[in-house]
Amino acid sequence: MSEEILKVEDLKTYFDVTKGLLSKKQIVKAVDGVSFTIYKNETFGLVGESGCGKSTLGRTIVKIYDPTGGKIEYKQKDITKIKGAELKQFRKSVQMIFQDPYASLNSRMTVGEIIREPMEIHHIYDTSEERDNRVRELLNIVGLKADHIRRYPHEFSGGQRQRIGIARTLALNPDFIVCDEPISALDVSIQAQVINLLEKIQKEMGISYLFIAHDLSMVKHISDRIGVMYLGNLVEVGPSDDVYHNPLHPYTKALLSAVPVPDPKLAKSKKRIVLEGELPSPINPPSGCRFRTRCPNATERCAKERPGMVQVGQRQVACFLYEK
Amino acid sequence: MKNILEIRNLQTEFSTEQGAVQAVRGVSITLGEKEVLGIVGESGSGKSQTMFSVMGLLSANGKITSGEILLNGEDISPLAFTSEKEYEKRMEKLRGNDMAMIFQDPMTFLNPVLRIDTQLMEPILNHTNLSKEEARKQAIELMRKVGIPSPESRMKQYPHQFSGGMRQRIIIAMALACNPQVIIADEPTTALDVTIQAQVLDLISNLKHEINSSIIMITHDLGVVASICDRIAIMYGGKIVEVGTDEDIFYDPKHPYTIGLLSCVHNPEEESKELKPIPGSPPDLLDPPKGCPFVDRCEKAMKICKEQMPSVSVFSNTHECSCWLHHEMALKGGDVK
Repeated sequence: MSEEILKVEDLKTYFDVTKGLLSKKQIVKAVDGVSFTIYKNETFGLVGESGCGKSTLGRTIVKIYDPTGGKIEYKQKDITKIKGAELKQFRKSVQMIFQDPYASLNSRMTVGEIIREPMEIHHIYDTSEERDNRVRELLNIVGLKADHIRRYPHEFSGGQRQRIGIARTLALNPDFIVCDEPISALDVSIQAQVINLLEKIQKEMGISYLFIAHDLSMVKHISDRIGVMYLGNLVEVGPSDDVYHNPLHPYTKALLSAVPVPDPKLAKSKKRIVLEGELPSPINPPSGCRFRTRCPNATERCAKERPGMVQVGQRQVACFLYEK
Repeated sequence: MKNILEIRNLQTEFSTEQGAVQAVRGVSITLGEKEVLGIVGESGSGKSQTMFSVMGLLSANGKITSGEILLNGEDISPLAFTSEKEYEKRMEKLRGNDMAMIFQDPMTFLNPVLRIDTQLMEPILNHTNLSKEEARKQAIELMRKVGIPSPESRMKQYPHQFSGGMRQRIIIAMALACNPQVIIADEPTTALDVTIQAQVLDLISNLKHEINSSIIMITHDLGVVASICDRIAIMYGGKIVEVGTDEDIFYDPKHPYTIGLLSCVHNPEEESKELKPIPGSPPDLLDPPKGCPFVDRCEKAMKICKEQMPSVSVFSNTHECSCWLHHEMALKGGDVK
């Protein structure tokens, strides 16, 4: 593998949700001890159900949230506690694409203003003409027309808005982009357009992605490696084909078997592992392994100890079943 | 197979400030006994509005401009009634009793200030002569049927005490309450997580064998349709462009839009291939194209496609498609006019 671009070690992000002055302290452990590495030019897919902490993890990495503990290294440099000018420099290199193309664009700004703004903040180019030229170039790259520059977001469809969002992230020539469910608000035929665009950009500009999604089939399509999250923990990490065709962790197995396949014969004969119950609350997560309350293979030990990551081939899995 | 529901040439319009939006433009489809019919389309294709027209649930600015909706042979479209009042009276009898609907968002469908038992017993009390006690018993039975543990105590709780998946089960229980002939499910699993979606899909396919209802499943998710439907209709731009059994649609798609749609989704069981997106975006139904609605995005479009809506080509007694490519003239190798 090539060089590391991002390294996360034992990252924790907690939120204090205590209500009232005298009540018992309540902490949501949204991300609770996650470690992984993303390499240059790689797409790392992060999957999990709602509430598992995948978006919080993405936001902590771009430093929208401050981590409660652990370490984030970007290009071999510790960025966990950077501030001021250093943080601004970091943000120039790391960008984010948001889920909802209707909420993430300011409806009072023209497309040109939206895409130009990051360049103004970071003082890229000297004149507004140069910036406008760059905006036109970016619109071209993402498949919009240069004369769209004076239009407002409401004049565009969801897929086109997502393209505007992508053009804005590219304005600063980032090396790393966190894509937080970039396609889940889009129609099927438009999703493929956006995925292909993201792949094209990656190929041409050598950008690394952290691709967060709950749609496993799309994640498998775009990612080189996949991490599976459950209740604030990473339970399995590995090359996407391996994880998909031979899942190891009981949660990954259940999650994958639940994905509806677009093929009637396969879908109707497919045996689904239906998980009992619901996701436990992250305020009061189960002791030991977080998944044990719904796991078909749970033993007494799972309640007492928290499983560490075990290396199985190219894969890491947090489950006692694979300990030697 | 007996037809429970038959829609003939249904047209629905919405008046807006910009003009009339023709959301449903001549839809004809039948629903057989104990059949699960999937209606697939993207947002704005008219799939939900077709079914809202059937249920009489269109918003105030929407109206059916022509067509027939036959439920067991009785025309229940508002056009068949002499007055609005009479139509509403009839629909009130039918809704919940003969036809029920499951909505997309389980978070907003239930009334947050009423207990579950009140909400679940309401359709039973309204449509049958059962006493309150009997209705309660039936409601408990329903909750058990949809897999809610300890229904007696959970009956007394409020919606916010249930998770999304559990709420969707309650909504399904409400739909089943009076053994309706037709259940219309509008994206019932879209708001749910994959593992919860699997639970609900399993529930629906198990119920399929237990109850006598026919189900219409509105969705944009081809995976969901493949796992549950017997027959599938593909909608685009307010029209049905292709109808067939699940195997017709998935293994032998005929319409370029269906083919395009299938190549946009990644089948995770197969090796990664390059996704082939459909270029462009759906037509504006304020001013719908005169010919085929898909013409601007179709790579095989011919001159005639712009000018005239294609007629229906029949491939088998289950499989039909509206596309000029399958017109006999085109099949002979000549360009259709």
